[in-house]
Amino acid sequence: MRRAVGVLLLAFLPVAAGAQTYDQLRIIAPAAPGGGWDQTARVMQQVVQQTGLARTVSVENIPGAAGLIGLARFIGAERGNGDAVMVNGLIMLGAIVTQQSEVTFANVTPIARLTGEYEVLTVPANSPFRTLGDFTRAFRARPEAISWGGGSAGGSDQILAGLIADALGVAPRRVNYIAFSGGGESLSAILGGQVSVGINGLAEFAPQIEAGTVRALAISSGERLPGLDIPTLREQGVDVEFENWRSVVGPPGLSAADRERMDAAVASLVASPEWQAALVKFRWIDRYLAGPEFLRFVASEERRVQNILTQFGGDEEDASLNASAAYPAVILGGLALFGVLSYVGRLRGEKRSQRAADPPTADSPTTTHWRPVVLIAAGILLNLLLAETGGFIIASVALFWCVARAFDPRHPVRDALFAVAVSVSAFLLFGRVLDLQLPAGVLAGLI
Amino acid sequence: MFEILAALRDGFAGALTLPHLGWALVGVTLGTAVGVLPGIGPALTVAVLLPVTFNLEPTSAFIMFAGIYYGAMYGGSTTSILLNTPGETGSIATAIDGHMMAKNGRGAAALTTAAVGSFVAGTLSAILLTFFAPMLASVALRFGPAEYFALTILAFTAVSALLGTSLTRGLFSLFMGLALGLIGIDPLTGDARFSFGIPQLLDGIDVVILVIGLFAVGETLYQAWSYGRQQFEMVTLHDFTGMNREEWRRSWKPWLRGTAIGFPLGVLPAGGTVIPTFLSYLTEKRLSDHPEEFGKGAIEGVAGPEAANNAAAAGVLVPLLTLGLPSSATAAVMLAAFQQYGLQPGPLLFSTRPDLVWTLIASLYIGNVMLLILNLPLAGVWARVMLVPRPLLFGGILVLASLGAYTLNRSMLDLFLLYLVGAVGCAMRVKAFPLVPAVLGLILGPLSEQHFRRAMAISEGDPSVFFTRPLSAVLLLVAALTLFGPMLLRRTSNVNTN
Repeated sequence: MRRAVGVLLLAFLPVAAGAQTYDQLRIIAPAAPGGGWDQTARVMQQVVQQTGLARTVSVENIPGAAGLIGLARFIGAERGNGDAVMVNGLIMLGAIVTQQSEVTFANVTPIARLTGEYEVLTVPANSPFRTLGDFTRAFRARPEAISWGGGSAGGSDQILAGLIADALGVAPRRVNYIAFSGGGESLSAILGGQVSVGINGLAEFAPQIEAGTVRALAISSGERLPGLDIPTLREQGVDVEFENWRSVVGPPGLSAADRERMDAAVASLVASPEWQAALVKFRWIDRYLAGPEFLRFVASEERRVQNILTQFGGDEEDASLNASAAYPAVILGGLALFGVLSYVGRLRGEKRSQRAADPPTADSPTTTHWRPVVLIAAGILLNLLLAETGGFIIASVALFWCVARAFDPRHPVRDALFAVAVSVSAFLLFGRVLDLQLPAGVLAGLI
Repeated sequence: MFEILAALRDGFAGALTLPHLGWALVGVTLGTAVGVLPGIGPALTVAVLLPVTFNLEPTSAFIMFAGIYYGAMYGGSTTSILLNTPGETGSIATAIDGHMMAKNGRGAAALTTAAVGSFVAGTLSAILLTFFAPMLASVALRFGPAEYFALTILAFTAVSALLGTSLTRGLFSLFMGLALGLIGIDPLTGDARFSFGIPQLLDGIDVVILVIGLFAVGETLYQAWSYGRQQFEMVTLHDFTGMNREEWRRSWKPWLRGTAIGFPLGVLPAGGTVIPTFLSYLTEKRLSDHPEEFGKGAIEGVAGPEAANNAAAAGVLVPLLTLGLPSSATAAVMLAAFQQYGLQPGPLLFSTRPDLVWTLIASLYIGNVMLLILNLPLAGVWARVMLVPRPLLFGGILVLASLGAYTLNRSMLDLFLLYLVGAVGCAMRVKAFPLVPAVLGLILGPLSEQHFRRAMAISEGDPSVFFTRPLSAVLLLVAALTLFGPMLLRRTSNVNTN
C-alpha cells in the first residue's frame, strides 16, 4: 500500500528529460471532459510531458456554449501570457456564427491546425440504402422524409449535412436534421434504426463499420483513406470535401519571442514519435498546418461555415417554429397559474395543517432576529466581491467567518482559526492535488 | 455459460494480485474522497486522475478506474445524507430522506444502508453485466426518441410522491424548475432562448447549481432565519452502530427493487442516473406500509435510490463495453482511457481483447467489495459530522458549496446564481413550498422536450408515434396508471363499501 501511494505521488511529478521550453505550460480545453477538444488537450499534455517540452503541464476545462465561454475567458484572462495555449477548431467557428459571438478567431493568436477527422455517412446494416446513390435519390424525391442523426446543432455534423444537401441542389433548411447530444446518443440512434442516416466523425464509427453493424455510404475526405474501403462523396458525384479540424491557438498580445517559442514548441510536439503514436491510437489524421497558410485556411472555412449555417436559419418551417415557441408559452403559463393559485390558497388560509410546519411567527421579528441573516448576507456579498480580486482563500475565510458568527456570538477567534484552516486546505486540495486551479488573488506569490 | 465463467475466472486471476488490490484500494479511496466534494462528479474525477495512470500497465489502470468510478458514485451520497448537499445528480433523491434520518440521529444507519445497498446493487449489476451484456445492449437500442419521451413522462409522475402538503405549491415548484430549464440553447435548432444575451447562460442553468443552492445554501439561510425565532432542536445521535434489525428488514427489498429499476435504465444509452433514482423513490413510497414517513426519514427512501444509482452506474458500462457507446460523461472519459491503451471499445472488443475486458469486469466485483470494506466502518465516523458545532458546520458547508459552484465552469456567474437560488430556496422553505419538484423539473423538462421534438421531427409531425410504438405506449400506460391508479382504486373500493 505504501509503495502504491509512493508510485501514485511519483506519477504526479513531471518526467524530466532534455531541455525544457516551458516551465509551466497550461493547456485550456474550452469543453467538458470527454469530448474531442478535451481529448486533444490531454493527449498534448501527455506528449509534452513525455518529450520534456515543459516541466509541468496542466489541462484546464472551461466548458460552455461550444467553446465560446472558454474563448472569451482565454482572450480576457490570458492576454500576453506566453505560457498558455487553447485547443479549438471548426466547431467553434460554427458557434461564433450561430451565436453571433463578439469574440472570434481574429481575437487570438493562431498557432497551427493539428488534427483532422473525416466524417462518414452511415446507415444501419438493415437499411434499404445500399449505396450513396440510393440515398441521394430518396433524399431528392422527398427531403423531409429522410432524418439525419448527428451531433449538436450548428456543429460539424450539421454543417456537413447542409453542404451535402447544397451540393445535391436541395435547400439546406429542408434537411430534417435531428441533433443528439454527444456521439454516444447519435450512434445508438443509428444502430437502432431510429433515424434514416447518420452523419458523424469517423473515429467514433470506425469500430462499428469494421464490425458490420452499420454500413458506411461515403466518407468526406478528398481521397479514399488507406486501409479503409469507403468511397468518397466526391467520387460518387457529391462535390463536397470536409473535415472536422482541431487547432491550437495562443492568447492575444503575445510578444514576438513568446510567439516564436510557441510555434517552435508546437512544431516539435507534432514531429515527436509520441504524438504520431497518439494520432494512430485516436484515429486522428495529422493535418499540421502552421503560419500564414493556417490563417488563410481559417478564413476560407469561416466563409464556408457562415454560408451554410445562415441557410439553415433562413426562413424556418412553420411547424418547427411553432413547436419551439409553444412549449415555453405553456411552461410560463403554468408557472403564472400555479403562482396565483398558491397565493390565493395562502390568502384563504388553505391547509391549516401547514401551520405546524411553519415556524411560529407569534413573537414579532426584532433586530436580534435579523442579525444572523444580515451576517450571512454580508458573508455572501464579501465572498462574491473577493472571489476573483482578493483570491479564493480570502473570500472563503470571509464567508466562513461571517456564517459561523451568524450562529455563534461567542467564539470569534475559534471561528477565525477554523475559517483559515478550512479555506487553505480546500485551496491546496483543489489546486495541488486535483489540479483544478482556483483564483489565488493577492496571495498568489505566497501559496 | 461455461465459457463466460472460465473467462471470468481468468479475469479474476489477472485482477487478484497484491499490487492490483492496492490499486483498487487507491482508486476507491480517491474516488470516494473526490466524490464527496460537491460539484466534482465522477467524470471530472476520472479525467483529472487519468494522467496518474499513464505510467501504469492497463490492468492496474482499469482496476483503479473501476474503483474511482464506484467510489465517486458512492461518495456523493455521504454529503447528501449528512449535509443535504448532493455531490452529483444521482444522489438528489437520497438527500430527501437521508438528511432527515441524519437529523433524527440515524445518520449512521442511512450511510450504512447506502453503502450496503450500493454494494448489493453494484454486485448484482456486475453479475447481470457478466452474463447478459450483449443481449441487454441490443434491447436498449430499441429505445428511440418516442420511448425516451414516454420514459420522461413516467419519471414526471414521481413528482406526485414529492408534492408535500399542497398540490398547487408543489406544482408551482415543478413549473419553476421547468421554466429554468427553458434557459439556454434550444438543442434542436441551436438558437439561444431566454439567455438575455449572457453567454454563460447559453448552456442553461446547471442542475448542480440549483441543487446545491436550494439545498445547502437554502438550508443554511433558513437556519439563520429561524435562529432568532425558534429553539433549535439539537441533533442527538442515538448510536453509531449502523442499522438495527428493523432497518435491515426494511432495507433489503428496496435494494433489490432499486437494482431492478436502476440497471436496465442505466443500460439505455440516454437513461442516466437521475430518472431511476426518482422512479425508485416513487416505487418505495407507493409500496410502503407507512408512506407518511417519507420525507421525514424513511429508510426505504435512502435504500432504494442508492441501489438504483449504483445499478445504473454499472448499467452504463454495458453499452460502453459491448457497443463502444459512451452514454454518460464518465463513460466518455473512460472511453478515452481505453484509447490511451490502443483499445477501441466497440462490438469487437470482447473478441479482440477478452483478457482486458474480463479483468475490468472482475475488477468491478473487487471494487465493490473494497468500497464496502472501506465505508462500513466509516459510516459511524462520518455520522459524527453531525456533532460538529453548528457555526463551523454551516461555515464549512457554504465554503464547500461556493467551491463546488465555482469549479463547475470557473464562472463568477455560477457563484452569483448559487446564492440567488439559495435565497429563493430559503424563501420557499419559509412559505412551505417543496424544493425537490423544482429540481426534477429542471432535469426532466429539457429532456422530455428534446425527445418529444426529435420524435416529432422523425415522424414528420405525426403525434401517433407515441402510441403506435409498443414500448412507448406501454410506458405511457404505466405512467397513467401510476398517476391515476391510486385514485381509481380508491373510487372502486368506495363503491364496494357503499
